[in-house]
Amino acid sequence: MEKVITIENLSKHYGRLVAVDNISFFVKKGEIFGLLGENGAGKTTTLEIIEGLRRPSGGQVKVLGNDITLNPAAAKRRIGVQLQSSAYYSYLTLWEILRLFGSFYKKDTNADKLLKMVNLADKANSYVSQLSGGQKQRFSIIASLVNDPEIVFLDEPTTGLDPIARRRLWSLIAEVKNSSKTIVLTTHYMEEAELLCDRVAIMEKGKIVALDETHKLVESAKNPYKISFVAFLDKSAREKIRKLGELEELGGKSAHFEIAFANQANMDKALDIIRGLNPEALTVSRASLEDVFVELTGHSIAEEEEEKEKDA
Amino acid sequence: MLNLFVANLKSLIRNRQLLFWSLAFPLIFTVIFGFFFGKNSTSAGTVVLINQSKSELATTIESAMTDSGLFTLQKENNLDASKALMKKGRANAIVVIPESFGQMTEEADKKVRLIYDPANFQASSIVNGFLGQFLTTTNYQIQGARPIYSVEEEQTVNGSFNYFSFVLIGLLGMALMNSAVQGLAISMSHYREDKILKRITTTPLASWRFVSAEVLARLVLNAIQVSLILTVGIYAFKADVPGDILLLLLFSLVGAILFQLIGFVVAAFSKTTDAAEGMATAVTIPMMFLAGVFFPIDQLPKWLYSIVQYLPLAPLLRIMREIAFGSAGIFDDPQNLVILFSWIVVALAIASYRFRLTDE
Repeated sequence: MEKVITIENLSKHYGRLVAVDNISFFVKKGEIFGLLGENGAGKTTTLEIIEGLRRPSGGQVKVLGNDITLNPAAAKRRIGVQLQSSAYYSYLTLWEILRLFGSFYKKDTNADKLLKMVNLADKANSYVSQLSGGQKQRFSIIASLVNDPEIVFLDEPTTGLDPIARRRLWSLIAEVKNSSKTIVLTTHYMEEAELLCDRVAIMEKGKIVALDETHKLVESAKNPYKISFVAFLDKSAREKIRKLGELEELGGKSAHFEIAFANQANMDKALDIIRGLNPEALTVSRASLEDVFVELTGHSIAEEEEEKEKDA
Repeated sequence: MLNLFVANLKSLIRNRQLLFWSLAFPLIFTVIFGFFFGKNSTSAGTVVLINQSKSELATTIESAMTDSGLFTLQKENNLDASKALMKKGRANAIVVIPESFGQMTEEADKKVRLIYDPANFQASSIVNGFLGQFLTTTNYQIQGARPIYSVEEEQTVNGSFNYFSFVLIGLLGMALMNSAVQGLAISMSHYREDKILKRITTTPLASWRFVSAEVLARLVLNAIQVSLILTVGIYAFKADVPGDILLLLLFSLVGAILFQLIGFVVAAFSKTTDAAEGMATAVTIPMMFLAGVFFPIDQLPKWLYSIVQYLPLAPLLRIMREIAFGSAGIFDDPQNLVILFSWIVVALAIASYRFRLTDE
C-alpha cells in the first residue's frame, strides 16, 4: 500500500480558536477518501492545509513525499484542487480558462478532451456565468484536472445541486477515480460519502472522531438494524416495542415511527408486533452512515443545518 | 506568464464597463473641454462691424480687423439688427464707425463706438485692446510722435499655450489615476471574493508572476488610453503639445504603475468589492480637484497648497506638463521626481507587505 498523503499531529489555531486539533491520518493511493463533519468541524481548514493554502500551526503534512510547508510548489504541481463555490474569470471562455490554468503548470492541456468528458464541448466558447449550477460544478472539476494530477481535492462538490445533477457528478467522480487518481473530498451528504468513499474520517470540533473503511464504519453502528413504519401505535404496543429497541416518532408526517435495534432477534420480535397493527407502510433496513454519524456527533447534519438557518 | 498576460488583456477588452470608464469617459471629458476651450476659444468669437464711413482711416481699421485673427468679423448695416444678434448670442461685440469718422474736418466724429455685454468681458477686452492699440498708433503717426516706452513681452513657453492644453494633460493624469486605482482595487477584490486568487494559489504559479501579468496588461490599456486622449486633444481640438510625446507616454506609464500600486493597497485594506469601490473613490476624488487636473493648484490658499502639492497625482502632473510644454527639463527641479518615486516606493512597500492572494 502506498500512502500519497500523510498527516501527523496536525494543528491549526486562530488566536484562541482551535480549528484543527492534533489530527493524524493518511490517504492511500487510488482511493476516494472522505472528510465528513458539520460546518465548522475543520474539514475545509484541514483540506486547505494539505493543499498548501494555509500554514499549519503544528504538525507535519506530506503530499506525494513533499513536505507541504517546506516545498509547496513541488506538491502543487502534482495535485488538482476544486475549491468550495469557486468562480472563474468572468470574461474568459471555458476553453480559455482551461488552457490558462494548464499554462500555470507548463502543460499543454487538452481542453477539448476535458470538456467532452463532462458534456460541455458545445459550451467551449461560453463564459462561466452562462452555465447552470450543475454545469459549473462539472466544469470546476475538470478545471482541477488540467495538470493531470495524481491527487484531486474536491471541497463539497455537490452542495446546492439538484438530485439529477448530483448523480451525474457522482459518476464523474467515479470516472476520475478510474483514471487511477486519488481523490480526497469533503461532503455534507452521508449517502454521497457512503456511495463514493472507500474510507471516511468523521471530524467533530477539529478532531477526528472516527476513521475507517466506510462499510466497516456503518457496521460498527450500535444499532445496525432499522424499521420504519406508518401506523397508529397504542400504548401497550408502544411499551412492548420500547423494550426491544430505540423507538422514535419522526417529526413531520403523522404516525411515522422508526425503531433501531442492536440485534436481529429483537427486530424480528418487533416486526411481529407491528404487523399486528396493520401498518400502512413498513420498511426494514440497515443503519446508514448517517446513523453512525448521528451516534458519534450527537446530532444529525440536518438538525445542524436547521440551526444555521435559524441563525441566519 | 505570457499566457496570463494575454488572458488578462482579453478580459480587459471584453469588459465593456471597464472600457467605458477607462477610454470613453476621459474622451468625453476631453471633447467637452475641447469644445469650450480648444481651437479658437481664445478669440473673441464673432464681432459685428458697422462701418458707416467711407474714409481711408475707416477702411484701414476694417481691413486690420478682418486680418487680426482675434475674432471673426461680420459686417452689418443696421445697428438694431446687430443688437438683436448680440442678444441671441450670435455676436459678442459690435463696433460702429460713424459716418464722419476719419474725415479731415473739425466737426468730424473722432470716436469709434464699441457696444458690448458686460457679461462677455473676455470678448470686449480683446476688441477694446485691439482698437485702442490701433488708434494709439494712428494718433502717434498723425502727431509725428515716436513712442519711447513700451512693454517687452516674453512667453515662458513657446507656442500658443492655452487653457485647453493645460487641462488636456490634467485629463491624462485623471484618466490614468481613475482607471488604475479603481480598476485594480475593484478587480482584485472581485477576484478575492470570487476565490479566483485562492484558486490561483492552488497552482504552482508564483504570486509575483500573477501580479506582474495583471499590471502589464493594464499598462497596455493605459498606453492606449493616453494615445487616444492625446490624439483627440491635439488633432481635433488643436491642443499645443510641443514637447517629447514619447517621454510623456513613458511618464504616463510610470504614473500608471504608481496608481496601480495604490489600487493594490486599497484592495489589500478592503474586505469586499463594495468597500474597495468606496475607498478607491475616496482616494481619487480629492486628487481630481486638489492635484491640479483642472486648474493650477498654486492658486490655492498657501496652507492648502503646501499639503496638496504632495498628493501623488500632483508631482506627476507637474512633470507631465513640463514634458508636454517643454517649459523646463524634468531634471531642472528634481523635487517632483523625488516625490513621485517616493510614492512609488511607499505604495510598493505597503502593497507587497499587505496584499496577499489568500487569507494567509
